[in-house]
Amino acid sequence: MDIVILTIGTIMVIVGLRIFLTRSRALKLPYVCCLNFCMAALIVLYIKSPMGALTAVVYFISSTISSNAIAHTIGEMKKIEKTMK
Amino acid sequence: MEIEVIKLIIASIICWINFVVVDTYFGLPKKPGVSGAEVIGKKIEKIGGNINGGYFMGNIVCSPDASAGTLMAAIFYYAMGFEGGLIAALLIFIGNRLCNDPGYAGTIGTITATILIYLCSGFIEPQYFIAGMVIAIFTIQGFHHAYASKLLGSIAKKMGRI
Repeated sequence: MDIVILTIGTIMVIVGLRIFLTRSRALKLPYVCCLNFCMAALIVLYIKSPMGALTAVVYFISSTISSNAIAHTIGEMKKIEKTMK
Repeated sequence: MEIEVIKLIIASIICWINFVVVDTYFGLPKKPGVSGAEVIGKKIEKIGGNINGGYFMGNIVCSPDASAGTLMAAIFYYAMGFEGGLIAALLIFIGNRLCNDPGYAGTIGTITATILIYLCSGFIEPQYFIAGMVIAIFTIQGFHHAYASKLLGSIAKKMGRI
């Protein structure tokens, strides 16, 4: 197997396991970000065409927007909890 | 086999330096861009890291910065050649605007990464840069949060960007 795909796959498995093992919701997000990088890389390595690159960038940006929304929600929840006390 | 490993290591070092220097220069460790990045930064400080490094990591999670730019430059260079890198810069700029970011770090990072990949194209093929960027982001976001944030904080202090 190609060393490039092998490296990315290994990192993906490690990061995927760490997402399950981390308790804190805020600290899961950096691992999810790393997983998104691996996923976008694998998409373009399997589909070597301009359309594959476009798919990868659309996947990556949309997943970043989701992470942004989740992180924003966690921040707002902390603010609400503070005002409720 | 050995030559492939050497190419991979050199590519990951180039990617790491490119995205850390561009992101630090454009002030990612200085302040959190959105409230979510602040939460991640504070949490990393709580587990024993540096608050500025934490903001840096939070900002990477919340918006496509130079780290994403480097990956996209490698991906588009792999699929389309040198022109692809410039298309990637445009797409990263759109992504930045969607995340309420000014977009300088991502766009400049993509362009510098494209130039670096072009300069190395005789020796290192673009797919090594894709894997290299994944390794680089793994060392920051996936390996050890407290240590990585301390390293990023000290780099930001050395560059005088806090």
